[in-house]
Amino acid sequence: MNFCLPAVFLPLLAAPVVGSLGTRAQGAMANLGLNVIVFGFTVAVFFAPGGGLIHADGLGMIFGVLTSFVSTTTALSNLGFVRDGNEVLSPRRWRVYHAMCQVVLGSTLLGLYADNIGLLWVAVEGATIAATLGVSLPRTASALEAAWKYFILGGVGIALALFGTMLVYLAAQPALGPGLQAMSFVALSLHAARLDGSLLTLAFVFLLFGYGTKAALVPLHGWLPDAYAEGPIPLTTALSTLMLNVALIAILRYRHLMQANFANGGGALQPGVFLLTLGLASLLLTGFSLARRRDARRFFGFSSVEHSGVAVFAFGIGGAAAIFGGLLHMLVHTLVKSALFQALMRGAALRGSAAPGNYGFSHLRGMIHSNKYVGWLLGACVFALTGLPPSGLFASEFIIISQTIQRDPYVSLPLGLGLVLCAVAIIRNIGPLVFGHAPPHTRHQKAGIGVNLVGVQLALAFAVAFAMPWFLLHALSSVAAGLQ
Amino acid sequence: MNLVYPLAHLMGGVILLCAFSMLSQRRLAAMITLYQVQAFTLSAAAFWQGFAQGAGDLYLTGLITLVIKAILLPMGMRQIVQRFNMVRAVETTMPIGLSMILGVGLIGIAVLVVLPTTVNAVSLTREDLAISLSVVLLGLLVMTLRRHAIAQVIGFLSTENGLVLAATGMPGMPFVAELSVALLVLLAFLVVGVFLFRIREHFDTLDLVGIEEIERRGR
Repeated sequence: MNFCLPAVFLPLLAAPVVGSLGTRAQGAMANLGLNVIVFGFTVAVFFAPGGGLIHADGLGMIFGVLTSFVSTTTALSNLGFVRDGNEVLSPRRWRVYHAMCQVVLGSTLLGLYADNIGLLWVAVEGATIAATLGVSLPRTASALEAAWKYFILGGVGIALALFGTMLVYLAAQPALGPGLQAMSFVALSLHAARLDGSLLTLAFVFLLFGYGTKAALVPLHGWLPDAYAEGPIPLTTALSTLMLNVALIAILRYRHLMQANFANGGGALQPGVFLLTLGLASLLLTGFSLARRRDARRFFGFSSVEHSGVAVFAFGIGGAAAIFGGLLHMLVHTLVKSALFQALMRGAALRGSAAPGNYGFSHLRGMIHSNKYVGWLLGACVFALTGLPPSGLFASEFIIISQTIQRDPYVSLPLGLGLVLCAVAIIRNIGPLVFGHAPPHTRHQKAGIGVNLVGVQLALAFAVAFAMPWFLLHALSSVAAGLQ
Repeated sequence: MNLVYPLAHLMGGVILLCAFSMLSQRRLAAMITLYQVQAFTLSAAAFWQGFAQGAGDLYLTGLITLVIKAILLPMGMRQIVQRFNMVRAVETTMPIGLSMILGVGLIGIAVLVVLPTTVNAVSLTREDLAISLSVVLLGLLVMTLRRHAIAQVIGFLSTENGLVLAATGMPGMPFVAELSVALLVLLAFLVVGVFLFRIREHFDTLDLVGIEEIERRGR
């Protein structure tokens, strides 16, 4: 029994139904129900990973569960978002919105479970198209512009990634013969040494720029802040966490092919330099541009650029420990970021509306005066992003930094500088956001029970980093050892 | 006499030439015509490769290309151009001559990158790959040099043609990629169509100057 198939295809098949029937409340309930079922499937994948074109390896299992978990909590908070009518959309567009949520979930899972470089590409492409439609839904001028920008840049990235995918096939075809074997990650990494090294290098450049666009690495990050700021906020959560992960994992897998080919004398270049450069560029640019953002969703969009850069940097350092650190960083960041966006949504709803345009720092400041609990939670989420202890990100960044000092001491200086710059820029905002003077006419309001979800996710992020259960530790280290 | 190489190269050359001439065109109608010629040639190339490699899949690719890319898409774009009365010349961000020099440079880069890295591959694949990489890069160049939404879309479609050309040249590549490319174009055009009409609702022109508004308003 292969539980990957229902996990991938249930949301994809349900999307047309969700997209054509029901009121917005029914759509939100269906969305939640499907998410819960898919979560069940992704847990079942641990016991029946299956085989063939779509099956789960260790990496797919871990991130599959994470994806469906985050997606489920987002769907839960989406209930409140839909009920309060924060976003004014026609019933038809609410249906499209919920259908797109399903497509994003299904294609993300397909991207994680696909053991075929072509299928991986199709998954990323499908998720991009769905997300573009989602971002354009509010139909304001700025949402359309953001969606257009996203579509054009994402389209270019997808085109480059497809070219890279075909080059990988061409590099593998003499060794593995024509057909599906030459496109399977399992077969490719088994025979990495026999691939054509120079073609693989060329392919890697295209893949890095292609999937790097989806992972929002500098200088390919241009679409991200706008897309984050303008779409419906539950979709932003999916964008910022799930889709970035798929792109980063794609980069990690191809890096492994390059590295294995290089280490066995296959003639490929060492991939580390490319990854270190892009990672550091992302980190440093974010460090300098965070300070100037006035809109919270753009601000935290840039922070996603930073964390994606840190993960890519860790992959560039290489070695099992650094890759373990990078994967842990992705896990914790996903949990923290989704908690943060959900807290932001609650906060903005307390201030009137959670529609785009209501997320200026000046509009949200002094959250504690609206609701104490939400204020503290928001502060905790933002603090967790800085990577200072006791944030879960501290553990992963600590591993990455210590590995950097061991393996490549010179780049540890810019890494440290970038991390400190980002942390300072983020921490400066906590005071005003949580404790500052609230805008006039702010009343104390009830937050509702759903806000506890934010706390649960933060606690999970802490637990994953500092008290990792043995089975996860075992699974993650064997994945990291396999991909070093 | 073996016609496989000369014919495949001839069609690749025509596709490249179309991509290159797009750089020199200021009028949308001319760009669409060039795109149409390119797509026709591409479908012929796919049929030819299918015949030469004995691969039935490629016939399907050729058929999809012919129907959707060479006939339906250009028709749709012409409709948009007429409906919104956009027959006049499109603004470019760079003098035409300079952009053509850049285009020649990109072709040179593509050839210099691909030929030395593929010494071991079949010779047909090598040259096909060099041509298709040039087409991809030229399409991207068109996208960056035109400030007009439809012109950018045409650049994007030209890039896609380059990708399909590369895919048809790959020996024995499973059909997954080609089908998805064809699907992508269809989907992409749907999305784009939706966009164009919506952008139209909000701005009077399809010029993308509005995007600078976002930049100014401090992210």
